Amino acid sequence: MRPALKEYPLDLLFARTFQVAQKLGRSTEKERAILLQSVPYVSGLLGPILSIGQPAITFLELMADYYGNLINAKKEGKKVVMTTFCFDPTIFYAFGNLVPVTLEVGTVITSILWKRGSFDFMDFCTEVGFSETGCSSQRGTMGAYLSGAGVEIDLVAVNMGGVCDTNSNAYSFAAQYLNKPFYGLDYPSELTPDEVTDYHHKDYRALIRFLEEHGQCRFDIDRLRELLEEKKIQDELTNELEEMQRLVPNPLPGIFHLLIYAARYTNSGSKKFTRMLREMVEVVRDNATNGRSGMGQTEKCRALLFYIDNFSFNVGMFDWLARHQVSHMGSMLSRFFPDNAPYRRDVSGTCFSIDTRSLDTMIDTLADINARMPMTRTIRGPYDAPNMWLEDSLSLAKIYKADCCVYNGTPGCRNTWSNVKLIARDLEKHGYPTHLVYADAFDGRVESWEATAMRMEEFFKIRGLL
Amino acid sequence: MSSILSQAARSIDLDPVRKFKEKGGTVIGYTCSFVPVEIFHAAGMLPIRLRGINTESLNIGDAYYGPFVCTFPKALLQQAGQGSFKFLDGAVISAGCDAMRRLDECWRKMSEDVPGALPPSWFYYLDVPHKPQGVALEWYQSRIRKLIQALEEKFGVHITDESLHLAISKQNKVRTALGELAELRCLEPAVVSGTEAFEALIARNVLPTDIYLEELDRLIEEVKSRAEPVSGYRKRLFITGSICDDLELVEQIEAAGAVVVGETVCYGLRNTSPLVSDTGDPVAALSAFYLSGSVCPRMFGYYPTRLVAISGRIKRTQAQGVIMQNIRFCDLHGSENGLLERDLEKLDVPTLRIEKEYGALTEKGRLRMRIDAFLEQLEKSRPPVQEAEG
Amino acid sequence: MRMVAGCDVGSLATKAVIMERRRVVAAAIVRSGPKPAASAQAAMDQALAQAGCGLSDIAYCVGTGYGREKISFMNESLSEISCHGKGAQFLVPSARSVIDIGGQDCKVIRLDAKGSLVKFVTNDKCASGTGRFLEVMAKVLNIAVAELGELALKSRDPVTLASMCTVWAQADVIKHINARRPAEDICAGVNAAMANRVAMMANALQLENDICMTGGVAKNKGVVQALGRIMGKRIKEIRQIDPQLVGALGAALFASEKATKN
Repeated sequence: MRPALKEYPLDLLFARTFQVAQKLGRSTEKERAILLQSVPYVSGLLGPILSIGQPAITFLELMADYYGNLINAKKEGKKVVMTTFCFDPTIFYAFGNLVPVTLEVGTVITSILWKRGSFDFMDFCTEVGFSETGCSSQRGTMGAYLSGAGVEIDLVAVNMGGVCDTNSNAYSFAAQYLNKPFYGLDYPSELTPDEVTDYHHKDYRALIRFLEEHGQCRFDIDRLRELLEEKKIQDELTNELEEMQRLVPNPLPGIFHLLIYAARYTNSGSKKFTRMLREMVEVVRDNATNGRSGMGQTEKCRALLFYIDNFSFNVGMFDWLARHQVSHMGSMLSRFFPDNAPYRRDVSGTCFSIDTRSLDTMIDTLADINARMPMTRTIRGPYDAPNMWLEDSLSLAKIYKADCCVYNGTPGCRNTWSNVKLIARDLEKHGYPTHLVYADAFDGRVESWEATAMRMEEFFKIRGLL
Repeated sequence: MSSILSQAARSIDLDPVRKFKEKGGTVIGYTCSFVPVEIFHAAGMLPIRLRGINTESLNIGDAYYGPFVCTFPKALLQQAGQGSFKFLDGAVISAGCDAMRRLDECWRKMSEDVPGALPPSWFYYLDVPHKPQGVALEWYQSRIRKLIQALEEKFGVHITDESLHLAISKQNKVRTALGELAELRCLEPAVVSGTEAFEALIARNVLPTDIYLEELDRLIEEVKSRAEPVSGYRKRLFITGSICDDLELVEQIEAAGAVVVGETVCYGLRNTSPLVSDTGDPVAALSAFYLSGSVCPRMFGYYPTRLVAISGRIKRTQAQGVIMQNIRFCDLHGSENGLLERDLEKLDVPTLRIEKEYGALTEKGRLRMRIDAFLEQLEKSRPPVQEAEG
Repeated sequence: MRMVAGCDVGSLATKAVIMERRRVVAAAIVRSGPKPAASAQAAMDQALAQAGCGLSDIAYCVGTGYGREKISFMNESLSEISCHGKGAQFLVPSARSVIDIGGQDCKVIRLDAKGSLVKFVTNDKCASGTGRFLEVMAKVLNIAVAELGELALKSRDPVTLASMCTVWAQADVIKHINARRPAEDICAGVNAAMANRVAMMANALQLENDICMTGGVAKNKGVVQALGRIMGKRIKEIRQIDPQLVGALGAALFASEKATKN
């Protein structure tokens, strides 16, 4: 890592960037045009995002809040919890004094925003002994927190035991390197049996005891209820967006997926997130009413990203799909499985419901939500077991009328790279042309975006999808 | 040196296993140190830990696994596809690490293309939690009970507490003997080579217990009576890291002029506690031993406990340096080695981190260079440069 | 005191150094052939001819390098890590760290004040961060490897190579060629990619000053400069001899110690 980078506190940098960017909501067209000229480095990203309109501004506000909280945490006597994207953060907000920092979200921002991406932070992890082949999604900002360029971490709480080794391992390494308390929720390889639910609930209660002990706090029951009630509204709004995605053409702009899940990972339960979803529903409803696709042009084909998206510089993949008139039907990161989601149809009995009747039902709800977060739900057991990767992918592909499936991930993903060839074979057998991207979603050094795009082009053309 | 132990450590196709089968015995393969072998012994079966030694090509392994995956499970899949595990009646795939747990699907799917590649009677997936205590321990215990039940139903056997107790006490005898061998390896000057000891450790995973115990006892007695120490070694080294049943690695280290005095790798000694409790509920005792006593980095958040156990063993063996190896793409050991490197060096124990492929797939020349250099590093006290005479 | 020799059989080049009273009297570099024994012999023959003597005049010979075990005329072999450390500190007495980039691997070495090895790391996982990477890129650019460094120094606007993988970086370089980026900017990008890779290893070892570079790639001023910049540290240049010879020189120095002792 270049020594100079330690001089720039990462969270402060993000906080200031988003605080300035959110003001764009009050700017005129002309002012924006001038701004884009004077920030050539981020204009490739800012341009498309601003073109979304109001939801983008709200998203920038959400991120400004998130990083603002983070940089003020210590001043306000709060503790910073290092956590992962697939950990529902509601519990932290229910404690008054915990502020989450989600590594993968930071990695996405650095990868999209900076040409050198998060390479320096990734390399720093290797320099201090972390395995170079570990998943890049954590390494991209973990290096900042290990090197002192990020805020000081107080504790680490994650939930990928039994689901993803490389994720759990990264957080466990960070906790050890920084000498901070660690708690990892652990998951059996099945989802639905009662004994598994019982395990989820017990483990989650042990997590709460850990947070209480090491965070020196007690959570506010009323606040928790309020957050969960807000989440209900958020799920309903998200469901509405999901339902509209079933239309042909799909009226939802692909980039919405990124904004929704990033906001959910960081701001679940916040009123502002609800506002963003409402604004999105309006945009998408308008598109739907007018029979417009979310891409602003004719829809030629619909692609389900059955793993994750790609976060190369300037959101290359989102842009590529839109330019080629391919509707982005969401990725594994997009779906959370509430029991009223339109995609529950083929997977009923495997979803969560929000029950705010008592403290116990609320804790059980949180455990159930966490057990169904992206990846936590889908890649914990054999891919062809009930409710796992194959069944979920097939049911999503069917409900959203996908024409093809695309795997995009990271070479660090030992889990999916150990069975993606098998699931690809099965998806093909079920009639879905399936493409495997060998790039790294967060690290452009593995395969340049241009090379990835070239192969995508090849796939879509050869398989007659375009 | 015992030829039975040596042969057992160097081949997959073993005479004693063949004889066991000829007598109608049931052989069950397993893949990870979180599978309590006592259960199979209690049922009169022979558990064999599967190995990927002597794998030369990975054409089958690479066809099902992706490119960014450790070569160990690929080598197992390769051997399975080549028919090397035909002696198995059943197999248990346990959730050791992500790449290993996916051997379940890869093996099943491969056998759709290679008929007969799957063990004929039984193929079982064992869930193992990633925490050693609390609700995770209860869960593991319930999984072990389920495993026993599945075994009973499939093979029509009855596994009683009594038979489990007997199996535990027999395996404890093995553990006691291996503990004695480990103690002998701590002596300076060294009386037993790492190669001999590692052969004995590996053979444990593949031989019927009675044959093994007899050979092991014989080896220990023979070592005790040795008049001469191991000749010509310069330094005492210890090995940690990824799964390793690679005798060539130990031989290579010893050929470079070291003696390997201990290891914490799978196939070697992998547990912090010496014996399984042989009183009370045998399943509870086995669960506590296998789950809570492991030094595997798959137990997230328990590095401090492992550091104490590993550094304690290093100290006891009087090792002068530690070779920390990991198979490429083994992030668990790769990064644990990073932490160990930091912490062992704080304790003044020099370390060498190496990343390699599994077993025979490793490029030997470069590995040897690093081992040589490490030994040269440990022998810092080279004579200072003197001016040549005028 | 008779003469001593060091012979370093590398993957791409074989080097021999003959010393007398700790002064280099002859040195040779030949391209490594398929047989290490023959390459060693060829390099040694060249050096002997230069020194005007025969093998019988060599009191002690230390072999090193990838093919060291095959050298027929050596008395002893040592790892190239020890030899590069030894040779570098002989040339730069203040050196505490050595970065050696050879044809197929890269080593970072830390030394104590006496020149003994304290710790080292090596990269031999893949071609990135080795001389091979530069060779491949030079070939794509249709220039000699030697030109890479000089050309790069002229660059005012280096390209960024997205990939560090030797295979993908080639595609990247081609992309920049097609975009008509000046060769010097591409060269500078290649060197920076290489330096980034090596810096990561070097940082892992927490290098202390002074740092010097050995091996064939040390001749590439572009990489040396980029490396210094990325690490925020100055790298001392070896001027007395070809940096590619440092391993063989170190071997000869060890030979000299042995000869003195015997």
